[in-house]
Amino acid sequence: MALTRVIAEHPLSKYLVNERLPHAWCPGCGLGITLGAILRAVDRKVREGKIDIKKLVLVSGIGCSARASFYVRFDSAHTIHGRAIPFATGAKLANPSLEVIVFGGDGDIAGIGGNHLIHAARRNMDLLVFMVSNLVYAMTGGQVAPTTPTGLFTTTTPYGNPERPINVVKLVASQNPNYVARASATHPALIEQYTYRALGMEGFRFIEVISMCPEVFGRHIGYNDPVSLYKAIKSKTRVKARPSLDEADYDWNHGWVLGEFIIKNNPGYLRTTGRWRA
Amino acid sequence: MRKEFLAAGRGGQGILILGHVLGLAAAKYTGLYVTGTESYDAETRGGDSRVDLIFTDSQDELDYFKVRSADIALFMYSDQLLKYRRLVGNEAIVFIDSSFHIPELRSSWQVYRVPYTDMAEEKLGTHVVANMIALGHIIRKTGLIDREAVISSIKEVVRKRWVSVDLKAFELGMELDP
Amino acid sequence: MRADYITTNIAIAEGAMAAGLMFYAGYPITPASDLFEYLASVLPSRNGVVAQFEDEIASINAVIGASWAGVKAMTATSGPGFSLMVEGLGLAIITEAPLVVVDIMRAGPSTGVPTKATQSDVYQVRFSSHGIYSIPVLVPWSAQEGFDLAVKAFNIAERLRTPVVLLSDAVLAHAWEKVSLRSSEEIQVVNRKKPKNLEEGMFPFKPENDLVPPMPCFGEGFGVKVESLSHDERGWYAPDNETYKKLVWRLVKKIENNMSLIWDSERYFTNDAEYAIVAYGSVARPAYAAVKEFRREGYKFGLYRLKTLWPFNDRDVANSLRKIKKVFVVENNEGKMYREIARSVKSAEVISVPLINLEVPPPEEIEEAVKEWL
Ligand SMILES: Cc1ncc(C[n+]2csc(CCOP(=O)(O)OP(=O)(O)O)c2C)c(N)n1
Ligand code: SF4
Repeated sequence: MALTRVIAEHPLSKYLVNERLPHAWCPGCGLGITLGAILRAVDRKVREGKIDIKKLVLVSGIGCSARASFYVRFDSAHTIHGRAIPFATGAKLANPSLEVIVFGGDGDIAGIGGNHLIHAARRNMDLLVFMVSNLVYAMTGGQVAPTTPTGLFTTTTPYGNPERPINVVKLVASQNPNYVARASATHPALIEQYTYRALGMEGFRFIEVISMCPEVFGRHIGYNDPVSLYKAIKSKTRVKARPSLDEADYDWNHGWVLGEFIIKNNPGYLRTTGRWRA
Repeated sequence: MRKEFLAAGRGGQGILILGHVLGLAAAKYTGLYVTGTESYDAETRGGDSRVDLIFTDSQDELDYFKVRSADIALFMYSDQLLKYRRLVGNEAIVFIDSSFHIPELRSSWQVYRVPYTDMAEEKLGTHVVANMIALGHIIRKTGLIDREAVISSIKEVVRKRWVSVDLKAFELGMELDP
Repeated sequence: MRADYITTNIAIAEGAMAAGLMFYAGYPITPASDLFEYLASVLPSRNGVVAQFEDEIASINAVIGASWAGVKAMTATSGPGFSLMVEGLGLAIITEAPLVVVDIMRAGPSTGVPTKATQSDVYQVRFSSHGIYSIPVLVPWSAQEGFDLAVKAFNIAERLRTPVVLLSDAVLAHAWEKVSLRSSEEIQVVNRKKPKNLEEGMFPFKPENDLVPPMPCFGEGFGVKVESLSHDERGWYAPDNETYKKLVWRLVKKIENNMSLIWDSERYFTNDAEYAIVAYGSVARPAYAAVKEFRREGYKFGLYRLKTLWPFNDRDVANSLRKIKKVFVVENNEGKMYREIARSVKSAEVISVPLINLEVPPPEEIEEAVKEWL
């Protein structure tokens, strides 16, 4: 767990429950980087008067990623594994003035919660969903995830993962939501940029963040320190301004294209049901 | 006061609507309490269709949901008469659509046989209002529920375009005197 | 107040709306779908939300989210759907989210007989979520009580910050009866306690004397922490024994100590009775008819009817049956609540009369079964 101590006021301390820091994420984990980037985008929106921090809610399920709900100062809910999206949907429908963010791991969002993801995207539900793909079930100790690339070793695939990984960007895009992007914890500026765009937008917005789990993913596949895993992932990512969905392939050998795949302005669920409040 | 009413026939004969009209009339337009249950075969047309209604003037008298010994019964078809006659009390007033073949009846019953279906066809040009003729007849002979209450209920329950012909059928039943 | 002729399902929907229902999430299932369809047609015009989700898991989690967003929320289902809701129910319990789950029992296990009734879920609704907790379960026996207990269910949920189960069944669901519908102005409507200041709002799990914490909700500026893990009064994860024990004891006691708000039962002809039938829900109806028939035949029978199943009130049950010689517990299952009755009644012989009948056992069947023991 974290070795450092907070020594000066953090630039994002306004948005963090500082009393709960240092956080519990491992050194070299991509989650802190990801949350930091998201909060910087939030901060910009708040300072521009485009978001009322009192109306911002972060909903998570269960997993290392889901622990983000501990650390944000605004309203948050740490719910149950896979169910953050329906919980968030209920909150948003009940109070349309809320801006509701879902934050979870790939297992949480696309594994156990995969069906909810598809249907929220299909409804163009007014939610912003972050899925942190660390390619493994981290919290439970490194088991195979639906996003784990073929052939890789995890604790439940000791002979290599025989399955093919799910391509969540394509899956979500097939439901025609308003926004789909892929970023990586190796490129925090992109996370911030995409979040900034997606915050406050209408309809369903999905951002996948490729992330590093040096603790229970990297070590199983031969990256014995956080830096080597970080470098490996960084070398596998390519940034494109507006990539096509054909370029969204998901493959450990060829890596990932990062970028904004879909940006649309279709009416979201709240508008189509007459409840949209800008 | 406690009265058990059973109506049965084939799907499509308007048994359920008749039951609903009576139930609503009692509940909304009189001081009576009422419990009603419906049963019908999955295939709506041709299958069994049955309504049990229990009317009481105190809540305390309402207990079991189903008719066990009907005081008043209506059978719109012979199969259901055979099937359910065990549920009809000895002293019951029984209304039977004589447009269909009538099996043997219990002698203790007070029986009215009227060809409701044929009559509906002849006088109002459609067999579908036979149920309302029967309803009028039942109200006339038993005084089960106040006439005005039933009329209000018909206006509420049946589809708009059927209200006037259903009311005509009901009045026709009220005038029957066989 | 207006009288209408409606089914128990519709009466429950009306009761919920009178109590302030603003959010309904559901997934179609017999025999609960028509309740859902009715709300879908009427709730939006009262500014409420009705949405169909991808399954019952999503439905109950959406209801919890809506509750935390500050509105009164409900879902309705039947056994198979309730099975899927069980994990979510636990989330509602530990986060103390007021909400109502209507379970309209059908015949199981598994898909069973979808359109027919049994009383098979009486333990499922109480015990099937894991962990240490208590949950109120109310059982109506008529359409009128469907309305009345829906109101009561919401009032308990809001008063005690807890999910409440309203347990009906397939027979009641589609029985049409006269119901006196009262408007919100004509009934007592309870709303959750709110924090009085910022300080209080920072502690969403800090109880007052009644063991119930005021409830800050999303969007109110408290930075509320809704937490499914064992948590302290701030909603911060705390896996230590002391905090955990304190939390789960409070979850249990805020229900059990408020028994008088929840428990209700009724007695019929019990004053001079030597024998009593104990029944609840739809089966209490033919049981009542059987009791009257026994009386006509000269047997001194009474009926003791449970309107609340859980938390189980040992004392009221024992007291109510203290002068009875023989107690017959009649239910449409293999004899589930019998165990509770037998446990609490020491003064009489308690006999289980399990009558499994998809149509609800008729009075004759009850009489016959009971007579064997006279
Ligand atoms: C119903 C249920 N099943 C299993 C678990 C155990 N569990 C906790 S987190 C988790 C997976 C976490 O993986 P992911 O969602 O990818 O998040 P990460 O930890 O990798 O960030 C599992 C299986 C649970 N909490 N609930
Ligand atoms: S186990 Fe992996 S994902 Fe979890 S905190 Fe550690 S590095 Fe991050």
